[in-house]
Parts: sequence; structure tokens; C-alpha cells
Amino acid sequence: MFRLPIDSESFPLGKGPMVMLILFLVSTLFIFGRSEEEGKNLEFWIFANTHYEEYQARVPIFEAQNPAVNVQLINFGGTMHDKLLAAMLSNFGAPDLVEVEITSIGRFLKGAIDEVGFVDLRPRLESEGWMEKLVVSRFTPWSYRGKIFGIPHDLHPVVLLYRDDLFKAAGVEMTEIETWDDFIAAGKKATRDLDGDGKIDQYAIVLDRRTESDYFSLLLQQGGGFFDEEGNVIIDSELAIETLEFFTALFNEHKIATPVYGTWHGDPSNFAAMQDGKILSILSPDWYVGILKSQVPQMSGKWKAISMPAWYPGGRRTTTRGGTMIGITKQSKNPDLAWEVLKFTYFDRPGLINRYETTRIIPPLKSAWDAPIFKEPDAYLGGQPLGELLIELAPDMPPRYQNPYWSEGADLLNDAIFAAVTEKQTPREALTDLAEKVRALIAKDRGRWGDM
Amino acid sequence: MKTSTNLTEPQGIIKNMRQKRTTNLFWNQQQKIAPYLFIAPFYLLFVIFMGYPLISSLVMSLYEMRGFQSRIFVGIGNFTDLFRDPIFWKSLKNTAYFAVGTLTLQLPIALLLAILLNSKFVKGKNLLRLAFFAPVLVAGVFVAIIFNLVYDQRAGLVNQEFVLFGKEIGWLNEEKYVMPAVILTGVWQWAGFNMIYFLAGLQGIRQELYEAAAVDGASWWQAFIHVTLPSLRPVIAFVFVVSMIGSLQLFDLPFILTNGGEPADAGSTIVMYLYKNGFQFMRLGYAATIGWVLFFIIAVISIVQLKLLGIFRDE
Repeated sequence: MFRLPIDSESFPLGKGPMVMLILFLVSTLFIFGRSEEEGKNLEFWIFANTHYEEYQARVPIFEAQNPAVNVQLINFGGTMHDKLLAAMLSNFGAPDLVEVEITSIGRFLKGAIDEVGFVDLRPRLESEGWMEKLVVSRFTPWSYRGKIFGIPHDLHPVVLLYRDDLFKAAGVEMTEIETWDDFIAAGKKATRDLDGDGKIDQYAIVLDRRTESDYFSLLLQQGGGFFDEEGNVIIDSELAIETLEFFTALFNEHKIATPVYGTWHGDPSNFAAMQDGKILSILSPDWYVGILKSQVPQMSGKWKAISMPAWYPGGRRTTTRGGTMIGITKQSKNPDLAWEVLKFTYFDRPGLINRYETTRIIPPLKSAWDAPIFKEPDAYLGGQPLGELLIELAPDMPPRYQNPYWSEGADLLNDAIFAAVTEKQTPREALTDLAEKVRALIAKDRGRWGDM
Repeated sequence: MKTSTNLTEPQGIIKNMRQKRTTNLFWNQQQKIAPYLFIAPFYLLFVIFMGYPLISSLVMSLYEMRGFQSRIFVGIGNFTDLFRDPIFWKSLKNTAYFAVGTLTLQLPIALLLAILLNSKFVKGKNLLRLAFFAPVLVAGVFVAIIFNLVYDQRAGLVNQEFVLFGKEIGWLNEEKYVMPAVILTGVWQWAGFNMIYFLAGLQGIRQELYEAAAVDGASWWQAFIHVTLPSLRPVIAFVFVVSMIGSLQLFDLPFILTNGGEPADAGSTIVMYLYKNGFQFMRLGYAATIGWVLFFIIAVISIVQLKLLGIFRDE
């Protein structure tokens, strides 16, 4: 009979510590001794619930087609980016596949380009001919120094959502709007004190002055940005200053804009103001329409959409806001299999159609755009086929160049916008100060460790 | 060849004696070692999960990360940068504002509630204790979400009252109202918790002291000043110090309530700025520096508070 080399009585300190030691050893063996089926298991981290739900439905189809493969989907919600950062710092525990949000990707690009924790997907995209099939400008948020670290999940073109009934009541036909000057003229008619108490009851547009979201969308529409393709800070360019002057004028000079109610456009307070008829229009990316549908379904039929007003006749009628990429981490033991899962979730036509159905997100894969669903009338917009408008705008999407200093820059940009709108600084002062701060930050880092 | 069975009697006795001595020695050693083994798990865990990270973060504060894989020695560069950083000072000011607001508003309210619940005249004490204590059971994140609705500019509970006076206050949209909104939320959440400490302190005061004061003709107020407050001194000191430390470590409430400290960093706190630098800007060395500066601030303030409250006095 098998006997332990030491019995519980003679074990130092008795039976209890011996049991604890045995449990410790068994659990250690369990944790570190698990046999890994090489190349069969893939881990896929997600932060957005809607994406998670979509992949929960789609991934089993991939697994059925590839019986030896098991894809583990993990939805960490908002904390996912911090967990990914920790995994990449410790060089341990990162998933094979991961989705990253557009405002978070910058921090993962810090340091030498070879030390970035994502696989460069450019060789695979080029060798398999995917570049031509996708909207090329949409790779810019996920690219840095010639390498492509992620595939875009979406395009997020922006349209102007407006209350047709209330604009019409003010004598404005919004479909005739072509430029921002037209919009200002229309806005002045529609921004009104309805009950004569001296207070404005309805504003032509709601804009976020706390964060960069609306201002930066306008700047991108102009063809500007925070950084250029080479990584230079261009937020104090004349274009950026003019755009901020325009943005502040909507509040302070033309008085047709109201600050967002609550903390952002998706705040319940903002929705309440919409329902009260206080807000007549909003710059809306495709995903925001999905949010409106789920959060304020009672407003179905009240909204309509037009292309964004252009800066000049014939100019660009859209911009972009938000976004997600999928990347393969360098810690993945099976990047080839991860690439296959990536293609299935991002390039598969039925899946992309299903995505639009549930979230109203237009896919970057151009061949999916001819699906009938994109031409279907949208009841939420009073029967207007929103997909058709979004797809019409998609090829004209502006690039948005990514940079490792985006997080710091965006944080300071929020302050600059607020300072300009609240007239603590002129737009020129605010953006000049901001650009100097970010340039100083970059110069300090370069002084410490040279050009990265 | 000799085996143990072939031992002569004296040899057997010697061996037995040796065995006995070895056993005694082992037992003696075990008695000496045992206490250390008993306390070893704590020290082991402390070294792994506290000691090592503490020293590591101190070392890290002298470095700056260069991406994920390498770092560079910057000496006290992070410290000098920090003292020149206007956002750090703004965050420190906000944190101090919250701490002062908490101590001057929350603690008197907590003491008042405790006195009320300790009096003979209040009915339904158990229910009230539970009601006042309940907010602390709600996670900070949920409190922030709830108060986001409470401070809602249009439909929020607070503005529903204030709007009657003709002003629709943007509690979370206007810089000057952001920290007061955070302080009031903190009062709602923590006053009941501190009330429990004060209540325990009040119940520990000997009744004879009040009786003696009454015999001397002391009024209720005089008894409160000369009996209650001195008797509560250790509790007040504890609550003061713990509340101050908690206030200086404030993070989740304003982070959710103000969407990361906006507008214009009006809701930014030191720990929030630490988080942003560490996790959003990937400046781990700078974040570690903020952490150590915060540690020294807390240590100094706590020692000063304890000294002022006479906790170090021999009695």
C-alpha cells in the first residue's frame, strides 16, 4: 500500500499544516501544470458588450467549421485596457486576440516601434489583398511608423441628426443645408425662446465643450488633426485655430449651441433634453444612432439625418468619431490561427450584416456595402434609409493619424476647448499653449532616450 | 557485520539516549521555531504583496518607462517635474478641498447623528442606524452613477429644488460646482459610517461622569463640552485621521461622477492623476512618484493631526 514518506503525526506542527501544504502543492500543480493543447486554444479579449454579444453568436460557427479550435471570449468591460497594459508590461498573460478602443491605442505604441506588443498585420493584409477591399483611411488610427497593428472594426462616419418637425416649425428645411454657414443661418431661426420668458427653450445643436469629441470631429472634417502623419504636433495650425474659433462662436457669438447636458452625449440628462425638444440637432456617428435607439426608443420617427454641413461648397460632408480595432498580440502562440479567427469575425459578410442590424455600425469591408439591409428604411429615422447615407459618406472619411502621445494630448485638448468656450483663453492662446505643452513633453522624452 | 539486533545492551542504551536527545533537540528547536512559523505567512505575504511593490515603486520613481520593455534612470527628475506640473497642483488643491470639506462638514454631521441616536428621546433607533449606515454598503461606482442622476442638470433631484429659484445649476458642468458636488456625495456616503464610530464612543462614556456634572450644575452644553468631547478624543482622532487618509486617496467617486475629472480638471484628484499617468499615459515612473509624494503628504498630515489631538501624550 502507498504510504506517504512522512505521517501526519510526525509532520512539524501536525496535521493541519500538512493538509495545507498538500493543498498548496496540488493547486500549484493544477495552475502551472495544465497541459496546453498547442494551437487549439485561443483567447480573445473584448471590452464592448455589443461586440461580445455579436461574437458569442458568431464564434461558435467558426468553431463548428474548425472542430479542433476553441476560442475563449472574455469580456472585461471598461477595465480591459488596463489589464492588457499590465499583461504587456509583464510580458505574460496577454490574449491572442484583443479589441482596443481608439482613444486607448496610443499608450500601447509608446517606446521603440519593435517593442509594440501587437503583431504588424501589414504583410498579411498586403499578401492576401485585403488592403484594396477595406477603406484605407481607416487604417490610420491603428498604424504607426508604417506598421499596421490593428484591423478596423468600423468606420464611424458622422451625420447630422436633426428634428425635422421642430426645424420645419421654425421655417427651416434642413435638406437644403449644404455648408456650416447655411447651418448657422438656419440655427439662428431655430434657436428660440418659445414662451417669451427671456430664456432659450430650444437650441439648434448640442455640442460637447468638456471633451474633444465634437471639436476634434470638426477638425478632422477640415482635414486637420492633432498630429500629422509623421507624428508632428499640428494642433496649433491655423486650421485648428480657425476650427476652434468656429466652435466657440457657435456658443458665444451665434448662440445656437447648447453644451451637452450631463457629462457626455450619452448622458440620461442629454436624452431628457432631447425629449423635451431642447436639442434640435447633434453630430452623430453611426454607433450613436444605435445608442439612441436603445436608450430613447420613444423618440422613434422624430429624427432625420443629413450629411454634415461642409466647410465650403463641395467640401467633405462627413467626419469620423470613435472606433475599435482588433489586433494579434506578440504573446500569441498561434498568430496564424488568430488571423483566421480575426478574418472570420471582421471580414465575413453575414457577420457584418448582422452587426449593422444590431448596432447600425457600417463595416470597413467595401464588398459588404451592397447588401440590401443597408438600403432598408430605418423606422427610427422615419423610414429614411440611414445605411445608404452612411455608405455614401464612407469613402470620404478623413484620416486620423495615431500617435503614442494621443492620451496626454487629448487630456490637455479637453482643457483647451473648455478654456476657449468659457472665454478664459482665446482659441489661439488655448491651442498654442496646448501645442507647446505636448511638444515639450515629447522633447523631454526624446532628450532622455533619443528618437523612438 | 553488525546490525541493530546485534547490539550489546550498553550500546542499545547509548543509542536510545542519543535518539531521545535528538528528539528533545528537535522538540526544543520546534518550540523555538514554531512561533516564527506561525507569523511567517503574514510576513511572507507582506513582503511579496507590500514590501516588494513598495520598494519596487520607490525604485521606479527614479526611472521612466520607455515603452513596455525598457526604462531609463532619471534620478529625481520625476520629482522636479511633478512640482512644476500645474495639473498635479490642481489635483492636490481639489483633493485638499475635498478633505477639508469632508472634515468640516461630514464629521460634525456624523457626530450630530450619533448624539441624536444616542439620546433617549429618539424612537426607532435601530432602523435609523441602518438607514444612516446603508450608503456605505453601496459601492463607490454605483454611488457615483446614482448621484450623476441626482445632479442631473434638467431632471435631477437637486435641481428640481434649485430650479424653483430660477437657476438650473450645472453641478457637473461648471468648474465651481464640481468639487462641492463631490463633497456632498461623500457626506451622503460616509457620514453614517463615521456616525457608528462616534456612537460606539458615546456609549463607552461612563454615565457617572454625566451624573457628577449634573450634580455640579452643568448644563447639557457644558456636559457636552467638558465630558462628551474629551471622552471622545481618541475616537475623534481616529475618525479624523482615517477620514483624512480616505479623502486624500479619493478616486472612484469623482472619476465616475466627472467622467475622468472634467471639465478642465475641476474634478481631478491626486490618485486620479496617478491613475491617468500610470495607465493612460504609460508614465509608470511619474505615477510612482505621485504615489510616493502622496504617501509623504498623508504621513505628515496624519502625524500632525495625531499630535494636535494629543494622541502621543502620556496619560
